[in-house]
Amino acid sequence: MPLLSFCGILLFTGRPDRGGAFSIFNIAVSFVSSLILFFSIWNQDPLHQQVDWFTIGNTTFRVGILLNNLSVMMMLLVSLIATLVHIYSTRYMKGDSYLFRYWAYLGLFCFSMFGLVIADNLLLIYMFWELVGFSSYLLIGFWFTRESAVRANKKAFIMNRLGDLGFLTGIMILFTQFQTLDITELFAPNGLVAQTILSGDYWTFGTQQMPAIWLTLAGLAFFFGATAKSAQFPLHTWLPDAMEGPTSVSSLIHAATMVAAGVFLLGRIYPLFDETVLFVIASIGAFTAFMAATIALTQNDIKRILAYSTISQLGFMMLAMGVGGFNSGLFHLVTHAFFKCLLFLAAGAVIHEMHHLKDHKGLDFDHQDIRNMGGLKKYMPITFITMTLASLALIGIPFTSGYLSKDAILIQAFDWAEGKGGLVRLIPYSALLTSWLTAFYISRLIFKVFFGELRVPGYNTAAVSLHEAPAAMKNVLVILALFCLFPFFSLDPLNYDSAWLMEGMKSSPRAEHTASIFHTLIPIVVNVIALLVISLAYFWYVRREKAPDFSGNPLYRFSEGQWFFDKLYFRTFVGGTTSLARSSFLFDKRIVDGLVNLLGKVGLVLSVISHWVDRYIVDGLVNGAGLLAKAIGNFSRNFQSGRLQYYLVWMLLVVLTFFMIKYFSLAI
Amino acid sequence: MIPLSHFMLVSAALFCIGLYAVLSKRNAIMVLIGIEFMLNAAILNFVAFSRHDKFAASGQVFALFAIVLAAAAVAVALAIILNVYKYYKTIDPTEIDQLGD
Amino acid sequence: MSILSLLIFLPLLAGLVILVLPASFQQRYKYVALAAVIVQMLLSAYIYINYNGNAFSGIDEESKYQLVEKLSWIRLDLGSLGQLQIDYFLGIDGLSMPFLVLTSLVMLVAILSSWEIKSNLKGYFALLLLLDTAVMGVFSALDFFLFYIFYELMLLPLYFLIGMWGGVRREYAAIKFFLYTLFGSVFMLLVIIGLYFSVVDPVTGNHTFNMVHMMNPANYVDGSIFNLAANQELFGIGARLLAFIVLFVAFAIKVPIVPLHTWLPDAHVEAPTPVSIILAGILLKIGGYGILRICVSIFPDAAIASTWWLGLIGVVSILYGALNALAQKDLKRLIAYSSVSHMGFVLLGIASVTSEGINGAMMQMISHGFLSSMLFFIVGIVYNRVHNREIPSFRGLALIMPKYTTFVMIAFFASLGLPGFSAFIAEAFSLIGAFNSESINGLIPRWMAVAGSLGILLGASYLLWTLQRMFFGQTRLMGGEDWKLKLTDINGRETLALTILAAMALLLGILPSLAFDKMNASVLELIRLVNSI
Repeated sequence: MPLLSFCGILLFTGRPDRGGAFSIFNIAVSFVSSLILFFSIWNQDPLHQQVDWFTIGNTTFRVGILLNNLSVMMMLLVSLIATLVHIYSTRYMKGDSYLFRYWAYLGLFCFSMFGLVIADNLLLIYMFWELVGFSSYLLIGFWFTRESAVRANKKAFIMNRLGDLGFLTGIMILFTQFQTLDITELFAPNGLVAQTILSGDYWTFGTQQMPAIWLTLAGLAFFFGATAKSAQFPLHTWLPDAMEGPTSVSSLIHAATMVAAGVFLLGRIYPLFDETVLFVIASIGAFTAFMAATIALTQNDIKRILAYSTISQLGFMMLAMGVGGFNSGLFHLVTHAFFKCLLFLAAGAVIHEMHHLKDHKGLDFDHQDIRNMGGLKKYMPITFITMTLASLALIGIPFTSGYLSKDAILIQAFDWAEGKGGLVRLIPYSALLTSWLTAFYISRLIFKVFFGELRVPGYNTAAVSLHEAPAAMKNVLVILALFCLFPFFSLDPLNYDSAWLMEGMKSSPRAEHTASIFHTLIPIVVNVIALLVISLAYFWYVRREKAPDFSGNPLYRFSEGQWFFDKLYFRTFVGGTTSLARSSFLFDKRIVDGLVNLLGKVGLVLSVISHWVDRYIVDGLVNGAGLLAKAIGNFSRNFQSGRLQYYLVWMLLVVLTFFMIKYFSLAI
Repeated sequence: MIPLSHFMLVSAALFCIGLYAVLSKRNAIMVLIGIEFMLNAAILNFVAFSRHDKFAASGQVFALFAIVLAAAAVAVALAIILNVYKYYKTIDPTEIDQLGD
Repeated sequence: MSILSLLIFLPLLAGLVILVLPASFQQRYKYVALAAVIVQMLLSAYIYINYNGNAFSGIDEESKYQLVEKLSWIRLDLGSLGQLQIDYFLGIDGLSMPFLVLTSLVMLVAILSSWEIKSNLKGYFALLLLLDTAVMGVFSALDFFLFYIFYELMLLPLYFLIGMWGGVRREYAAIKFFLYTLFGSVFMLLVIIGLYFSVVDPVTGNHTFNMVHMMNPANYVDGSIFNLAANQELFGIGARLLAFIVLFVAFAIKVPIVPLHTWLPDAHVEAPTPVSIILAGILLKIGGYGILRICVSIFPDAAIASTWWLGLIGVVSILYGALNALAQKDLKRLIAYSSVSHMGFVLLGIASVTSEGINGAMMQMISHGFLSSMLFFIVGIVYNRVHNREIPSFRGLALIMPKYTTFVMIAFFASLGLPGFSAFIAEAFSLIGAFNSESINGLIPRWMAVAGSLGILLGASYLLWTLQRMFFGQTRLMGGEDWKLKLTDINGRETLALTILAAMALLLGILPSLAFDKMNASVLELIRLVNSI
C-alpha cells in the first residue's frame, strides 16, 4: 500500500500540464497518499525498499525509498502545504501568460521535494537536492523578462551550487571510507558510522583508515551544503533576492519546504556529526538567527521582512540541531512551515490587492512597500486575523504552535549550554534575544500594514476600492491559520514535551532531557518580554500615527530608550544613528554580497588574464614555430637562383669548406 | 730532372685559369674552354704522377682515356650549346635561369 | 563479411554512390547519406543489444573480444628480419562498444544539421562519410598499424571539411588543426615501429602489430627496447616511459589538454556546424579512448608512474577551460572552452585508476559526446539564421524562440551537471574515483578531486551567465527588426535532432546502468591489468 501511494505521488506530481485544475488534482492525490502513508508508517517500523540501480566497479548502487517517521512527516508537510499553495495560486496567478509553465515547474518542484525526503541513498538525495534547487531556479526566474528576477535566480542557483560542492565532498569522503552511500547502512544505530573507531589521529573502519580530521571535514562539508540550501550565514544572501519570484512560490519553496531541506538533511545524517561539527552548527545557527532578525527590523519591503524572518527561524532550527535538540529542531521545522507559509500567503493577498489598486488607479508606487500600506484591517479582515495569528505563532505566544516548538529549542539550548563555559553560553542567550527581535519586527509589520490609514501617496483614502482576497485565497489562509494553533500538535498548550511530533522523533540518539529551572523560567521570560515588545511596537506605530521621526532615526531612539540592557552591544556595532540593524544589513549587502561579487570579478579578471596568456603566449609559441620554419625556407630559397654559375660557385665553396675542415681537423 | 712540384704548380695554374673562365665568362663556349683547361690540368697531373707509379705507366693510360672522354664530352656539350642557342637565342649562362623553377 | 566491417565500410560505400551520382541529383545526396547513417545506427543498436558485457570483457585477451574479425592483410618476407605481419584485425569490448553507438548517433545528428550546407554538396557528403568510416575504424581496430591508418585517414576529410566549408579564418584553423594532430601522430609512428620490433606473435613467432599481444609483457623479445625487464633508456629516461609520454601527447592533443588545446577553439569556431558536432562529439573521444586502449593498456607501468601528472593536467584543464569560457563573448568559443573543461574530468578519472574513476571518465566521454553535439547544434541554429553568434548581440531570445530556449536550457543544465542527466553521473563518479584513489592505490591526492569539483561551480557560472545574457530579459537584438523576422523558432528537423540528443542524455542520467553494465567488466579487467604490473 505505501509503495502504491508512492508510485501515485511520483506519477502525479511529475507531470507538467496546462491547467491549474489538473495540477491541483495531482497534488491532492499526493496529499491523500501521503496521509495514508503517514498513518501506516508513523511510529511503526520504517519501510525500506530498494532496487539495483547500477554497478560500478565492484560496488552496486541501489536506490529505493526509506520511509520512517522523519520522511513521512516531511511528506505530509510538503504535500499539505503544496496542495494549499496550489489552490491559492489558481487565483493569485490568474491572468499571467505562460501559466502552464508555472504549473509544470511547481509539479517538478513537488516531485523533487518528495524524492528528496524519501530517497535512501546519499547520491539520490544529492540528485533531488539539486533538482529542488533547479526548480527553484525556474520559479524564481518565472518572470524572466525582469532583469532582477533573472539575476536573483542565477545567484540562487550558483550559491546553492557552492553548497552542493560541500555536499559532494561529504559524499566523496563517506564513499571512500565506507564504499556505500546507503543511508540505512551508514546511519542506522549499529550502522557503519557507528562501527568506526576514532583512535588517535586516525578514523578507522575495517581496513579503511583515514586521518581523523576527515570525519570532522565530512560533517562540515554536509553542513556547508545545508547552509546554502537553508540560507544560513554566510550563504544566506540569495534568499532575500529570491523574493523576485511569485509570492505563492516564495511561500511554498522559500519559506516552508525547500529551505527546510537543509535541516532535513542534517536530520538524516545526524549520527555523523562529532562535537566540533555540532558546535559549529549551533554557533552558525545562532548567529544567523540573530543577524537576520536584526536585519528584518528595518526592512520596508514586506516580502523581504518575511525572508529575513525565514532565515532567522532556520537559524533557530540549525541551533536546535547543533545543541542536540534533534526532535525540537524538526518540530520547529513543521510548525514554522505552517505559519511562515501563512505569513507569505497573507502578504501575497495584500500585495495582490495593492497591485490591483495600483493598476486601477494608474498610480505609481511600490506595492510591496509597507510604508505605503496601512489601515488594511478595515478592508481585509480575514487576512488581518489570519496573519496576526501567524505572527503570534512566529513570536511564540502561548496557545500557538510556535510557542511549543520555539520554547523547546530555547530550553534545549539552555540545557546544552549549562555546564559549558564562556562563549558557549552566548548561544542560548542570543537565541533568546532573537526571539524578542522577532516579536518586534513582525508586530511592526502587522501594525504598519493593517492599522492606521492607507498611506498611498497622492491617493484619496475616501474612495478606497480595496476588498478581501478572493475565496480560494481566503480559504487557504483560514486553513493554514488553524494549523498555527496548538491542538494540532499537542493537547497541552504549555508543555512541548507532550507534543506527538516530539514523541515520534525521540529516537534521535543524542537528545537528553534534564529538568531544570529553565523549563519554567524561559517560557515566562520569553513571553513577557515579547508582549512588552509588541506593545512597544503598537505604541510607536499605531498610537503615534507617525513613527517618532525626530532626527530621522526612530530606530536609534528606540534602541537607546528601550533596549538599555543591550546598549553597549548596539554601540559597539554602530555607535550612532542607524542602529545595528542597518549596519548588519549593510554588512550583508556590502561585505558578504560584495565578497561573492568580488570573487566573481576576480574570477573574471583571472579568466581575462588567462585568455590573454592563452592568446599571446601559448598560442604565440605555436605560431612562432610556424614562422621559424617559414624564415628558414625563405633563406634557403636564395640558393635556388637557377643560374648555372652560381650553383658552381656554391659547389666550389662547399667542396673547399670540406677540404678546409678535413685539413684543419687533421692538423689538429 | 724537373721536380714534381713544378708540374703541380703549372697544373694548379691551369686549373685556376679554367675555374675563373667557368665561373665568370658570359659565353658558354668560353665556359666550355674553361672546363677543358681544368681537365687538362688534371691530365697533366696524371702524367706527372705516373713517374712515381709502381706499375707500368698507368697514369699515362688514364691520361689518354681522359683525353678521349674529354673530346667526347666537348662534342656533347657543343651540341647542347647549339640547342640552347636555338631555344633562347643566346648562350649567356647568366640569362638562362630556368633551372631555378 | 562481419557486422563490424559492414559498420565501417557502409558509409564509404554510400560516399562512393554519392560520388558516382550525377550532379542533377544534388538535392538527393543528403538523403543517401542519411539512409546510410540510419542503417549504421540500426547496426550499432543491434551490436549494443547483443553485446555481452560480463562474459567477454576484452582488454588483454583476444578470446574475450567480441565480433572479432582477423584476416591476414600484409605478409612480407623480409629475409633475416623475419616476416612483416599486418592483420586486418577488428574486435570490440566494453571500452570501444559504447563509442560505436555514440558515433552512429552523433553522425546522424551531424547529417541532420548538414541541411544548411549549400555549396559543393557532392564533395561535402563524400568527405563526411569518409570521416565516418575512419572513425568507426579507429574504434574497432585492434591491429596498431590498422589503427594508425584509420587514425590518419580521419585527418584528411577533416582538413578539407574545415578548410573548404568553414568560416572566415578557415584556412588558418584547418592548417592549425592539421599540424597539431600530425605533430602528435608522427611521433606515435616511431613508437609503433619500436613496439613492432619488440613484440612477437606467440603463435607464429613473427613480429606483430597486434595490440592485444602488446599488452602482455611475455610477448616482448628479450632485451628489446620496450621490454619491461630490459629497462632500456633513451635520452636518460626509461624507454617505456618515453614511449608512454609520446603516445600520451599524441592522444592528449586530441582530448585536448591544457596547454595543447589551442587548436580546438579555432577549429570549432571556423568549422561548419556539422563538423563542429563531429569534432566535439566524436573526435575528442578518440583521445580519451586512445589513452585507455593504448597508453594505459600497453604501458601500464609508465601509466602508474605518471598518474600524478595526468591528474594535475586534468585538474588544470578543468579549471583553466572553465575560466576561459567565462571570458568569452563568442558563444561557440565559449562552448569550445567548456569542452576543454569537461574533458579534464576524463583525464582526472583515468588518472585515478579506480573503477569509479575510469567508469566515470568513460561516462563523461559518452555524455559529453551527446551534450557538446547538442550545444554546437544550438549555436548553429542561431548562427544559421543571422550569421552572428556574439553573446552581446542577443537578449531576451526566450520571448521570440520559446521552443529553442527550452532546448538550450536542457542542454545548458545538462552540461553543468544537473542530476538526471548523464553529465552529473559522469562528473560525480570521476570525482569520487579521484577522491577515492588516495585510499585505494595512493596515486593522486585528494585535493585534486576537491579542486576539480570547483570546475562544476564555474561551469554553472558561465552557462547561467550566458543564459541570463542571451535568453532572458526584454528582447533586444543587434540587428533590430530584421533579425526578429529571421530568428524563427526551430523547425521539425532541428527538433528531431535535439530531441534525440536530449533523450540520450536524460536516459543515461536516469538509467546509467545502460552504459555501466556494458563497460564495467572491461574497466575492471583494465584495472587488473594495470595493477598486475
